[in-house]
Amino acid sequence: MNYISRSIVRLYCTKPRVILNRKYLVPKYPAQSTIDARKLPERTKIDANTIALLERLSLVDCANRQSIETLEEAIAFADQILQVNTEGVEPLVTVLEDRPLVVREDEVTEGNRRAEVLLNASVVEDEYFVAPPGNIPLEARENLLHEEEKCN
Amino acid sequence: MDKLLLSNIRNARKLLHENYITPKDLLNSCLTQAKDTNHLNAYITLTEDEGNKQAKQSLERYQKKEATSKLDGIPIAIKDNFCTANIKTTCASKMLENFVPTYNATVYEKLLNAGAVLVGKTNLDQFAMGSGTIDSIYDSTKNAWGYTEDDYYIAGGSSGGSAVAVATGSCFAALGSDTGGSTRNPASYCGVVGLKPTYGLVSRLGLIPLVNSMDVPGILTRTVDDCVLILNTIAGHDPKDSTTLTKPYKEILLPSSGKLSVKGLKIGIPKEYHCKNLDKEVLDTWNDVAKLLDENGAVVKEISMVNTEHSIVCYSILNQCEVASNMARYDGIEFGLRADENSSTEKLYATSRSHGFNEVVRNRILTGNYFLLTKNYEKYFNQALKVRRLISNDFYKAWEDVQVLLTPTTLSTAPKYKDFVKKTNRDQCAMQDFCTQPANMAGVPAISIPIKLSKKGLPISLQIMGRNLSEPMILALAKYIENIVKFPGVK
Amino acid sequence: MYWIHLIKRNIVYSNRQYSKQVSNKWKSVVGLEVHAQISSNSKLFSGSSNEFASPVNNNVSLFDCSIPGTLPVLNKKCVEAGIKTAIALNCKVSPVSMFDRKHYFYADIPAGYQITQQRAPLALEGNLEFQVFTPGIHKKPYTVNAKIKQIQLEQDSGKSLHEDDRSLVDLNRAGAPLMELVFDPDLSDGEEAAALIKELVIILQRIGTCSCKMEEGALRVDANISIHKPGEPLGVRTEVKNIGSIRGVAGAIKYEIKRQIKVLESGGRIVNETRAWEATSKTTLPMRDKEQQQDYRYMPEPNLPPLHVAIGPIKNGCVNVDEIEKQIPELPSGTRTRLIDDFGLQLQQSIILVNNPILLNMFEEAVKGSTNYQLLANLLINELLTIVNKNNMDLENILVDGKTFSEIASLINDNQINKNTAKLIINEVITGDLKSPAEIIEKNNWIQISDVAQIEKICTNILNENKDIVEQYKKGKTKVFNSLMGKVANNSKQMINMALVPEIMKKLLSKM
Repeated sequence: MNYISRSIVRLYCTKPRVILNRKYLVPKYPAQSTIDARKLPERTKIDANTIALLERLSLVDCANRQSIETLEEAIAFADQILQVNTEGVEPLVTVLEDRPLVVREDEVTEGNRRAEVLLNASVVEDEYFVAPPGNIPLEARENLLHEEEKCN
Repeated sequence: MDKLLLSNIRNARKLLHENYITPKDLLNSCLTQAKDTNHLNAYITLTEDEGNKQAKQSLERYQKKEATSKLDGIPIAIKDNFCTANIKTTCASKMLENFVPTYNATVYEKLLNAGAVLVGKTNLDQFAMGSGTIDSIYDSTKNAWGYTEDDYYIAGGSSGGSAVAVATGSCFAALGSDTGGSTRNPASYCGVVGLKPTYGLVSRLGLIPLVNSMDVPGILTRTVDDCVLILNTIAGHDPKDSTTLTKPYKEILLPSSGKLSVKGLKIGIPKEYHCKNLDKEVLDTWNDVAKLLDENGAVVKEISMVNTEHSIVCYSILNQCEVASNMARYDGIEFGLRADENSSTEKLYATSRSHGFNEVVRNRILTGNYFLLTKNYEKYFNQALKVRRLISNDFYKAWEDVQVLLTPTTLSTAPKYKDFVKKTNRDQCAMQDFCTQPANMAGVPAISIPIKLSKKGLPISLQIMGRNLSEPMILALAKYIENIVKFPGVK
Repeated sequence: MYWIHLIKRNIVYSNRQYSKQVSNKWKSVVGLEVHAQISSNSKLFSGSSNEFASPVNNNVSLFDCSIPGTLPVLNKKCVEAGIKTAIALNCKVSPVSMFDRKHYFYADIPAGYQITQQRAPLALEGNLEFQVFTPGIHKKPYTVNAKIKQIQLEQDSGKSLHEDDRSLVDLNRAGAPLMELVFDPDLSDGEEAAALIKELVIILQRIGTCSCKMEEGALRVDANISIHKPGEPLGVRTEVKNIGSIRGVAGAIKYEIKRQIKVLESGGRIVNETRAWEATSKTTLPMRDKEQQQDYRYMPEPNLPPLHVAIGPIKNGCVNVDEIEKQIPELPSGTRTRLIDDFGLQLQQSIILVNNPILLNMFEEAVKGSTNYQLLANLLINELLTIVNKNNMDLENILVDGKTFSEIASLINDNQINKNTAKLIINEVITGDLKSPAEIIEKNNWIQISDVAQIEKICTNILNENKDIVEQYKKGKTKVFNSLMGKVANNSKQMINMALVPEIMKKLLSKM
């Protein structure tokens, strides 16, 4: 860091000067947004099929009006990104994309700690984890947008 | 003792070394302070037993005059989303309320090996989703500044607990996590130093993830020198984390502040960081410090980073998608809250998860899964990844002109709790994280330093960013500024 | 573009025998997906053991049971195995490949997602050329070239034991390393599929990347099957899983094709579904449809930056493809060619030997001691294999080596014994007799009778005992000569050197 090493020898006063003047070094006014609110697409309405699918994929028991509205808001908010021109731009998944993935040698270095592995499980049977039978799809609800807040 | 608790690590260590105080006494002072400031609710768990055990071992090392590190016997706090063996790690959620990890996060392990002593696990927004430390099952954390019982200011988030713990002197340093500003934001509101290191510099093993491609362990301290000490201890390659850099870490040694100079340093002022909701006082502070540096020989110039405003939307999409994915493991079978439901696997999962997660988390999962649907992947998720590259490219372009960037950290001083909760979690994040998010997009290091108090007596901070692995430079600049502005600590 | 596909298919068909199994009215199309467990010591992304049949939940690390905060670290050996397999199957290895998350909820997938390679797999576009020849079904062998779409590395799931009211989950296998090989739908019936798997198994075992023990689940085959009328577009396909053996592959596909024909011919429709092969009833049954409306929401795995492998002299990568290529031994196609070129065997024989590694081994040993290659091949294939099959034995359990066969071949060459005696000797050695063939024939007095005087005596006896046949012969019915030969052979209990008999017999007859 050259500026630090250069500063070891200082010819003038050691105390930094603090002078107030009217110079504006930071932008005086807010930057204009490039997002055109008028060009945003119509707000996506979530249909019953999508709600059912999302609920099955998320399993958070959240198919109530409030959550759907929050979802629709989030989508409307995200729609702004569609206005950004990304032609010819590659997606950036990780900032480490240019560094090769590190690998490890094929040695057994873990495992053999069954007690630890089972320690935090609420239900254990004869060293097995326990799950209910199979994968039975959630029951279809009659009214998917039931009014009361089902979530706590 | 108060004076000691609010001083820096070097002083404390000197006293320990010269036996003016034992590690146990120091720890106990911190614990007492934590209990005295309990109304601020910075801690979820105080680790008295574990801390005392560590203090005892530290004392033995001092007595035997064994080589002790610069952190030996120093009390620290850890945000409760870092795994600490045999100490419950809750992420402020019902889901992990009783989760006791059997391993240590690498950063915690490193601090232990350096002799640090754990005061406790600090409060956070549930699963680090939030910018206020108000969405916790353990109630909100209150800002020490301007506190009154019925009308307090938020501590910021999601590492609010760590920030308050450091500000009030119940520890000498704390770890937070930073995904979109979660370390720098509370640092700004609480008037402490908050560092987000370069992505990949510090191991994430044991940090319960929010957004894997952006998460970094963050450091909160009262001074820049303390921050350097902690960074030197926790940085470096971890073979158990494939996203850490393999280049060997070189310890940072900052000269004393008297020897620092900014002559010739090229400082960029990205004009897009003056956004619509920026507070006038913050703007003026930004300007004052810019002028200060200019007077002292720095070359301060305005630059443009055109994609800054898209960072919020980009972040919200990527965040929600990763959340939907990362939270898929919480099903109650191997660990975590398990509902009493046996009819089917899906029913069990749905019930456990709806009880274990708060609304913020559940909504993010739902939205994230929507964006990840095959039909939507290109439109939202992949588009966000492309915008991420644009934001990252903005930084690369900036480094062609300047060496560091100076910006506000948060758009205002700490909001009142009453005002903060009027907006939704997402809206708040959108506003509060405006200046901090882009650094996570690009992976660059960023530090927030407190500058002065506002008219209402709340801290105003500014942020310095540099290119990847430029921690020595941004820390040096931070120290330089710190030395001039001489920000007062909490009384 | 399916027209081009159809034209290509017709070209392939014209080089093939139509399988006897499918009716000429329908064309069946089969594509295979193979999951092969890599035989490494530890798992794909964690350091826990990859050993089969360990105590429940013992080979589980914190990462394997998805404890929060744990991270994946890639096993180098698995990358090498994947690349070795890709090269052996003529695939193009990608210099940069990536990992993705495939999301779905199931009790044996603790993380709620599987780490796999969807966007950018380890290798692409290969092919496997193999011979189809099932003795008894095919008159002669024919060649099939099956294209491989891609090879990817991915995690295996844990195992669930399904009880009535709950499932018990063992995560020993969770995170075990798998290679998924996706074949194009280039096959037309179960025998071709079985032959493909057979060839694949031999390759994988030779290069040592997979044990291929289907009974342990180390190799799993899923078949995608559809039928259509010639000239029409491809039909709806079903997926058949749960196939546990190579013969099961043939059986399952054969059954499914028949079932689909029956459905369509009775006016029904084929549903795109997943079916399970039931080996006991030899039928396919619809599986509980665990996919319903499923969306795997593939997403790049953020904890694993791209995998770089070095190709050529480039150093940037964790493994070097060229170095791995050097480690690949002779592959089955090479062995078959060698058997034909160097030892003059027929294609059929080379196929059978290559398909039976133990037999092949014996052959390679035997040729060191005898140059009568055809005879050795016959002894092994026609004699040994028949005896083994007839007695329901296992080639792995019999204690014979190739040297024994070269000795037998030598004895035959020297006219000490004939083929029949050889059978007897083989019977002795496989039941545990440790003596050498020479010792055995000595002990049992099985040396072939070649002494002319003795043969004369035997022939004379036969002639005396069968005066009526002699009469017939004298009258001009020369065909009865064969029955005289037969009696000589029987009388001497096949111990006589039959090559010498005709001349002697004729001489005797002429004297009578």
